[in-house]
Amino acid sequence: MNLGTRKLLDRSFTALGISSIVIMGLMLLVVLVPIVSNGIGAIVFKSTIEHRKMLYHEFNRGDKADLQREIASSDASRKEIYRMLDTFDAELSKMDETRQQEYREKFEQVKNSLRALLGPIPGDEEPALARLKYGQTRWEKAEEKLHELLFEKKWDYSNPDEMAKEYEVSRSASFEGTSLVRLFPYVEKNIDRLLQPEWTFYWGFITDSSVDAHFFGGIWPEIQGTLFLAVGAMLFAFPLGVIGAIYFTEYARDGFLTSLLRSANSTLAGVPSIVFGLFGLTFFINTLKVSESKSVLAGSLTLAIMILPTIIRSSEEAILAVPKTYKEASLGLGSTKWNTIIKVILPAALPGILTGGVLSLGRAAGETAPIIFTAAVSVGSAIGLADVLSSPTPALSWNIYNLASEHEAAAEIRHVQYGMVLALMTIVTLLNMSAIVLRARISKKLKG
Amino acid sequence: MEARKLFRKILLSAAVFGLMASGEASAAGNKLVLDGSTTVGPIAKAFAAQFTKTNGVEVTVSESGSGNGAKSLINGTCDIADMSRPMKDAELSAAKIKGVNPVKNIVALDGLAMIVHPSNRVRNLSRAQIRGIYTGAYTNWSQIGGPNAPIVMIQRESNSGTQDAFKELVLKDGDTVSSRAETQASNGAVKSRVATTPTAIGFVGLGFAGRSVKSVAVDGVLPSAGAVRNGSYPLHRQLYMYTNGQPAGNVKKFVDMPKSPIGKRIISETGFVNYY
Repeated sequence: MNLGTRKLLDRSFTALGISSIVIMGLMLLVVLVPIVSNGIGAIVFKSTIEHRKMLYHEFNRGDKADLQREIASSDASRKEIYRMLDTFDAELSKMDETRQQEYREKFEQVKNSLRALLGPIPGDEEPALARLKYGQTRWEKAEEKLHELLFEKKWDYSNPDEMAKEYEVSRSASFEGTSLVRLFPYVEKNIDRLLQPEWTFYWGFITDSSVDAHFFGGIWPEIQGTLFLAVGAMLFAFPLGVIGAIYFTEYARDGFLTSLLRSANSTLAGVPSIVFGLFGLTFFINTLKVSESKSVLAGSLTLAIMILPTIIRSSEEAILAVPKTYKEASLGLGSTKWNTIIKVILPAALPGILTGGVLSLGRAAGETAPIIFTAAVSVGSAIGLADVLSSPTPALSWNIYNLASEHEAAAEIRHVQYGMVLALMTIVTLLNMSAIVLRARISKKLKG
Repeated sequence: MEARKLFRKILLSAAVFGLMASGEASAAGNKLVLDGSTTVGPIAKAFAAQFTKTNGVEVTVSESGSGNGAKSLINGTCDIADMSRPMKDAELSAAKIKGVNPVKNIVALDGLAMIVHPSNRVRNLSRAQIRGIYTGAYTNWSQIGGPNAPIVMIQRESNSGTQDAFKELVLKDGDTVSSRAETQASNGAVKSRVATTPTAIGFVGLGFAGRSVKSVAVDGVLPSAGAVRNGSYPLHRQLYMYTNGQPAGNVKKFVDMPKSPIGKRIISETGFVNYY
């Protein structure tokens, strides 16, 4: 091959390599930017006075005097709205039958939009669910609700052959000629005073339990559940995995049985995680009855089986990477085989073993399928260490799925879901980073 | 040995972590485990929060479908099984073999809301038309008074009580749902699929039919709490919480909540209909 062609090939290969890395970086950016920005939005956001009321009543947090002053100033503006509603109500009862019917339904819609924005209207019965006790706690949601109050969404069904098109009608236009028409510009103009938005750093999102099925509050039970499950899985899988790896590398003779065991181990690593989940349900819960119901214990055991092959493989690699001379020197000095393994080989292999372990820990924290049937619930409070043997727990991975699809108001609480995604990613990233740091530190110590 | 020091460090940090967590340990054994229907889910979750507040008993709720709820109760892994359909004969006999005695407790009434995208002009469907859609006889909305667009029908998975209720209320013996029907795994998933697909139709519990979708009238009656309660809405059913044996203690307190004033409030605020 002449030199020109070789250069050309070489350059084009370099270009290909660089472009694939750039594409990978861009993909990562496309995935990460919305996750991080939306996830942070769960903690740092513009909160309304309703948020502070909720914090005070549900968590007993916040300054009472401050809050009361705010409520007083907000109520001063709200009073005017409720007075307008009363005036219109009186006006409504004086109208003739047909007009009354025409307005009654629209008026009810207006009142419901106001309830969504500001919370219960005076005279309403005290709601039982927290989601109805407060208005919008987040400013960006409040702006959406304000829009719904000012404009009615309608559909144009005039063309029978096509899907209807959406259009909006100003509500004040549909109340033209009545006293209620003043309400809409009033709310729009005074929305700041009604809701008193201010930037908030809501650290409680990480440390609080959820209120009313994740409508308010935080995700601590989920975070804790995830940590319990991952750490529990490690407690079972790590010792077993390391012992298995020692057996494979130091004791097992090459033969049919060993190669069978090895390929069984590799196969186990390739089994889909949902299969482990179903296995965990039938074996640990229904057959062995490790717990009465789903539990952290059953979930940890299932996750442990799932990550066991990876731990065995990585420990095996780490042990094999220890230079033969170490072993020979130790045995040559008269040490026993067992002593050599414990005192020489394992410490030298420790960085590699730990790296594999921590990476598996990250995987255990992020898996959903194995815990659906064995450990995860959609709501539950944070459990103590004493309950891990018998209690199921919410966990980040499962609750992200639950909020995305099963929750009755999934679209209303997207920010909680994003917050959970960010929390899970942070946990996994921290675990992986600690693996890197740990490895570096141990290698340094061993060299020094 | 450096490695031993490190092990000690790891053990120590594990112990610290454990101590932190045990700080809020609760009374063990004082808890309720609920599993089952995603339809009953919103009621069960709200009841759970209320129950924990008033009785100090921890309640966990899983939403994995009525079929799973029944299995959990039969296997003894839950205290209460939320179900949106009555237990089947096969489940009852399986329970008998395991020595479990399922007792039916009615929670609330529910209507199956047939939901379409708000841009769909169809306002009313007869039961025969719905049956036609799901058996594959109608494939285009124009055949039943809608725009010229193919119908995307959404059904639930076989594990779902809502799916069984739909089959019982709408389909006739021997009918099978067309293989073109798409399957979603929960009420919420059906709702969000319909809300984002202009040509779709699906069915969900009354409490899920929110503003992002449009409920159509069935045989001329719109689904509403009143229409379900007086039986004029044809697609109505009961929701249950099954217990093992006659409920007692905390389990009894829990399944009796639909009879209490606060329970009734919760049921109507989550969009369902009171039975008691």
